[in-house]
Amino acid sequence: MPKFRRVKDMLHLDASNLPALARGCSVLGAGGGGDPGLGVVMAAEAIKRHGVVTVVKLDDLDEAAWLMPCGMIGAPTIATERIWSGDEGTVLREVFEDLHGGQVAALMCFQIGGANGLLPVSWAARCGLPLLDADGMGRAFSELQQQAMHVAGVSVSPVALTDGRGNTIVLRTADDVWAGRLAREAAASLGGVCAAAICGMRAGRARHAVVEGSVSLALRLGAALRAKGLGGVLDALGSVLAATLLIEGRVVDLERRAGDETLTGSVTVRAGSGPAGMRQLRLEMQNEYLLAFEDGALRAAVPDLICVLATESGTPIAAEELRYGQGVAVVAAPAPAIWHSGPGLALVGPRAFGYAVDYAPVDGGMEAHV
Amino acid sequence: MSDLRIGIASGTTGTDAVAIDDRDRLLATASVQAAGDVRGAIAAAIRAIVADDAVVPGAVRWVMLGSGQALEGVAAVQGVRKVAVVRVGGPLTLSVPPLATWPSALRDAVSAGEIVVAGGSEYDGRAMVALDEDAIARFLDGVGDEAQAIAISGVFAPVSPEHELAAADLVRRKLGNWVHVSLSHEIGSIGLLERENATVLNAALGGAAERLAVAVRATLAEVGIDAELFFAQNDGTLMVVEHALRFPALMVASGPGTTIRGAAHLSGVGDAVVVAVGATTSYVGALVNGIPRERTGPTEIAGVRTSLRLPDVHRVPTGDATLAGAVEDAKAAQPAGPLVVVGRGQWLVPDRMDGVSEVIRPRDGEFAQAIGAAVGSVSGQFARICLNRPDTRRTVLEEVRTAAIARAIDAGAHPDTVAVVEVDEAPLTYLVHPALRIRVRAAGPCW
Repeated sequence: MPKFRRVKDMLHLDASNLPALARGCSVLGAGGGGDPGLGVVMAAEAIKRHGVVTVVKLDDLDEAAWLMPCGMIGAPTIATERIWSGDEGTVLREVFEDLHGGQVAALMCFQIGGANGLLPVSWAARCGLPLLDADGMGRAFSELQQQAMHVAGVSVSPVALTDGRGNTIVLRTADDVWAGRLAREAAASLGGVCAAAICGMRAGRARHAVVEGSVSLALRLGAALRAKGLGGVLDALGSVLAATLLIEGRVVDLERRAGDETLTGSVTVRAGSGPAGMRQLRLEMQNEYLLAFEDGALRAAVPDLICVLATESGTPIAAEELRYGQGVAVVAAPAPAIWHSGPGLALVGPRAFGYAVDYAPVDGGMEAHV
Repeated sequence: MSDLRIGIASGTTGTDAVAIDDRDRLLATASVQAAGDVRGAIAAAIRAIVADDAVVPGAVRWVMLGSGQALEGVAAVQGVRKVAVVRVGGPLTLSVPPLATWPSALRDAVSAGEIVVAGGSEYDGRAMVALDEDAIARFLDGVGDEAQAIAISGVFAPVSPEHELAAADLVRRKLGNWVHVSLSHEIGSIGLLERENATVLNAALGGAAERLAVAVRATLAEVGIDAELFFAQNDGTLMVVEHALRFPALMVASGPGTTIRGAAHLSGVGDAVVVAVGATTSYVGALVNGIPRERTGPTEIAGVRTSLRLPDVHRVPTGDATLAGAVEDAKAAQPAGPLVVVGRGQWLVPDRMDGVSEVIRPRDGEFAQAIGAAVGSVSGQFARICLNRPDTRRTVLEEVRTAAIARAIDAGAHPDTVAVVEVDEAPLTYLVHPALRIRVRAAGPCW
């Protein structure tokens, strides 16, 4: 429970800053994670009826306080059609408390990037609980077990799942890979998408197991994106995310192959013209933008964030929305430190996505030539 | 004597009319200043064009009306029908009630009440839960007197429209056949809130569309024209007035589509960037294979996010320096073909622009919108979502083709010459079982 700290000093989420949170979550989605737009509407409705959501830090909580990381699993497209009942978070909390034998003190996004950065906000409002200023990824990934908590040894299982219409499933799995696999199958049975609570842990255990500051970072990013013009946005991303501009140009080639679960493909962005002035950057994507190459050299790689912004507005563009001819700027920013560890790279480095390259920091850690 | 077509384009500052013969020759043009109300301006334009000696009223067989302002009721929050809003999706979807995102003035003007009842489909077409017909019946008892139209939107209706059709049946049994019913699977694609919004707007706009049709027909009768009346759709194609009264949302923003098609007709070019320079607003769009390129993602009408398909145009105030940037963007996305400049203020666009090899200023380009309406083909389209399995895809594709052709015929296309002109299959991402959105457009000449 929060220690003595006056409420007005604490960060709140309400109708006034939800759009900024959503903009920030879009950037952190690195091209994936789904559109947070529906989450904004849901959270605004929930806050209107149940009051604002307080954002707490780990230091505000007792060591023994239970945290419930949560979000959706499955197809964001389906979620925009069979919209949530609104009860999902409350149901997850009940199941979670049964499973762990303790009361939930705060909800937490297991993924800040994309739609999952907003969904737990509406659930927190309905539960009357705070939201932790942290998440499990610092961005978006496609696999459920690609969590900082997994790297830190917090088990993804038991997994609580609900579909918002009275069905709940609890998975107790042999390991975290099984948890991801079975949760995905369960989501299919529940209608293509479902709500999930994973990685139950106490605040004391969370200290080195979560990515701290994600919600406030997304808010700062969202505010920064309101800067005038692309130049202002790039400056803001540079200062908030330590982002580097990789290229500013136009989409001249776009190849997308839709597989069963993953949007795979590549995109080429060209800048300048003529043999001397022309540059080309190629991005590889699997739901998210994962690798950036220029002249065969790796300039940025997952788990670092690669984001594509519209030149005109500076707004982030999802991998499925990119269009041929579009004017874009591509930026890369370092991922949270936990992903640069050996176990972190084993889980979410380029080889984990099937690419035969090793991770290297943005521009090899050298000064960017912009 | 040659059969004539009259094309009418109504805008914020003026209304144009053109008369075209069956060899596509422009016989006469007329322009009137907007005299406050749209219907008055259209009537004045009709009187002006028949005053031309080249136009014999008895020879006019078709009148095509393109009017962005025809449905001004949406923006003005006047003249809209009261709509009873039925969503079929409970117990899901309750986190965002119907019309939750609407501007409150428009919502107050449109809504006769909203309800979410149990029902809807899964993404694979299976029923989610049984349709709660009792709840719909009770709701209708409560709003029946006030409601002038009913909008019904079911979860995954683009996959399986069964619950929407059953609900519509119930409405007709209770309220009679006279009441307008808009069904979401006939209006939009996946994304419940945007499709529901489009469906409610469609239901709300029927009255404005009807008043417009009555007024235009009265003027036509007055000047001695006995012609088939068509309205321009948002994509610049046409639909006969009876069809337009069922689907008025398809004509809320027809200006850019008709203008781009007019530019295509006048220039003879199928791929181009089109710049239309009006008195107050200019826009830049793209013509791809003779069709105005559409915007991807949701569109906004009167502050409401919808799934309505609109041309992808970039608007700038006329005379604004940002036009050059908009042209450059459009040119990069559509490198094939020249730049076609139309509209009254076309002299504002220079002959040389970055990245543009050729600028075409077709003759009579100032009447591109009215001409585009007059020469348009009649079209209908239909979309469905299905699982991407070879047998399912084949069956559904055939159903969608049949439905699109039926739509085009209902919209006034000749049954003997109507043909499928566009098949668009798009995979839906992040699905456990891959799914497909199949969209078909059929078109043909009017008759």
